[in-house]
Amino acid sequence: MFKKVLIANRGEIALRIIRVCKQFGIRTVAVYSKADSDSLHVRFADEAVCIGPPPGKESYLKIPRIMAAAEITNVDAIHPGYGFLAENASFAEICTTSGIKFIGPSPEMIMAMGDKALAKDTMKKAGVPVVPGSEGVLKSTEEGLEIAKAVGFPVIIKAVAGGGGRGMRIVREDSEFDNAFKTAQHEAQQGFNNPDVYLEKYVEEPRHVEIQVFGDRHGNVIHLGERDCSVQRRHQKLIEESPSPAVDENLRQRMGEAAIKGCKAVNYENAGTIEFLVDKNGDFYFMEMNTRIQVEHPVTEQVTGHDLIKLQLQVAAGAKLPRRKIVPRGHAIECRINAEDPFTDFRPSPGKITDFHMPGGFGVRVDTHSYAGYHVPPYYDSLIAKLVVFAQTREGAINKMASALDEFTIQGIKTTIPFHRQVMRNEKFRSGKFDTGFLNSFQIVPEESP
Amino acid sequence: MDLSYVKKLIKLVSESEVDEVEIEEQGKKIRVVKSKPNIVATVPVASLSQQAAMEAPIAAPVAQPPAAAPSAAPAPSKSSHHEIRSPIVGTFYRSPGPDAAPFVDIGSSISTGTVLCIVEAMKLMNEIESDVSGKIVKVMVENGQPVEYDQVLFIVDKP
Repeated sequence: MFKKVLIANRGEIALRIIRVCKQFGIRTVAVYSKADSDSLHVRFADEAVCIGPPPGKESYLKIPRIMAAAEITNVDAIHPGYGFLAENASFAEICTTSGIKFIGPSPEMIMAMGDKALAKDTMKKAGVPVVPGSEGVLKSTEEGLEIAKAVGFPVIIKAVAGGGGRGMRIVREDSEFDNAFKTAQHEAQQGFNNPDVYLEKYVEEPRHVEIQVFGDRHGNVIHLGERDCSVQRRHQKLIEESPSPAVDENLRQRMGEAAIKGCKAVNYENAGTIEFLVDKNGDFYFMEMNTRIQVEHPVTEQVTGHDLIKLQLQVAAGAKLPRRKIVPRGHAIECRINAEDPFTDFRPSPGKITDFHMPGGFGVRVDTHSYAGYHVPPYYDSLIAKLVVFAQTREGAINKMASALDEFTIQGIKTTIPFHRQVMRNEKFRSGKFDTGFLNSFQIVPEESP
Repeated sequence: MDLSYVKKLIKLVSESEVDEVEIEEQGKKIRVVKSKPNIVATVPVASLSQQAAMEAPIAAPVAQPPAAAPSAAPAPSKSSHHEIRSPIVGTFYRSPGPDAAPFVDIGSSISTGTVLCIVEAMKLMNEIESDVSGKIVKVMVENGQPVEYDQVLFIVDKP
């Protein structure tokens, strides 16, 4: 097992990783920007190195500084967390050549899955169902239109280098195609410096269901069940749960097998998530693969009883994955608490938290780096806490989440707690019969400020 | 001059984007300068007074002597001290090589662009240059010590 690990991240995930390392007796090194000097991950790490001014580009994304920090503290591994450099193949490469273990997959795997069109192609060849569409990059409007007609409208034009919901255009009929194609290319060039686009059938009323996978260094690949992440706003997940209300044991098995096939095709190592779209007929299609640990990993931990960060460290250190089939039990839900005002279109609300009280009790978990007196900086993403509940049934979990949210007190800034409270009481959400369009028709009801 | 007025002015400057504010009224002048990271308040009293400049109650630096008062004796003037900070993470070395003499020492005169030290990161030797002229008064780090971003390396007395 590693002696010393550097966490190349911040916020709640950095603290999460530090906690697991402490349990193993692994020494921890935190890196931080000047805006994070009072951050909990800095406080609880054994050593901390300031790596730059507040902007992410000048600190958490600055590979030379992070590597220098790793060098002067003499670490033997780096955990990249999620976001920032977690899916940066160059960073993974530099770690390897510097003799430091990157806790994640190899640079080649990251690259293979990072290119969306290539990833889809790789999965298709492995026998994983994919959304029908173009075979790689579209060379012209004419080619695109032909494929669109063959696949059937509606279709979606996507940027090859895109992600996070950007660089996409839905087209519902022939006449719209040319315009959409040119706009998508332009947006892709502006956003990702790469105008290449590809085309897919647009799956209507899809649910976003992802499978947690794990590969070890001995060729074993397992899956740990699914997470339903259909409650999204502008392609950003807000609520996740496991199991998915739309997935029965049969579908779980088929999706799990497909996910494992995909991973074996690339000799996948460490944690990963394969995202699928599931349509109303229960057909599933590969969407993309994330070659890192995800924000919503606690939901899988609650229903499987496995600590996924711990598993990441173990696998990276050469351990074999557990042999016994992992069967999810009970139901878990996660609400992402962001520093945003849900009553004014989720406008960011950084600033000082004046009062902070977390809910607790059996089956109530909060992963957070926030505390009373903490200044939420404006430079990074707005996630300030993850509230995760576990119960025997979905209804039990929803009710537990609702009361936990009622108790969760954060003052001084605006948070999305009121939004989550309303969703937990929403008929459609409670029924379990919703898709990624859910929030389009969800209207938040104004409340009296506390 | 009212001390609470001075305090309010200092707070205003430190919380705003403004770097320097000078106010003159009824023969009294106050100038508040934000020099990263410390704020220095200079309160030159009327030129008739022999009194040395008043000291502002924030940060370590003492007030600057007023240029207009010929008799004002400069108090131990730390406000002209400039901190040279590391722009990168790495290991600090005082000399170009293990057996070579240090780039600079206490008392060395330097100017903008003078190489002060090396910070080594990932086998690359980065020469750190001074951004001011003056004299080295203190070396804050030991040879071979790891340094982080923005860590103070030298204190320079500016003329």
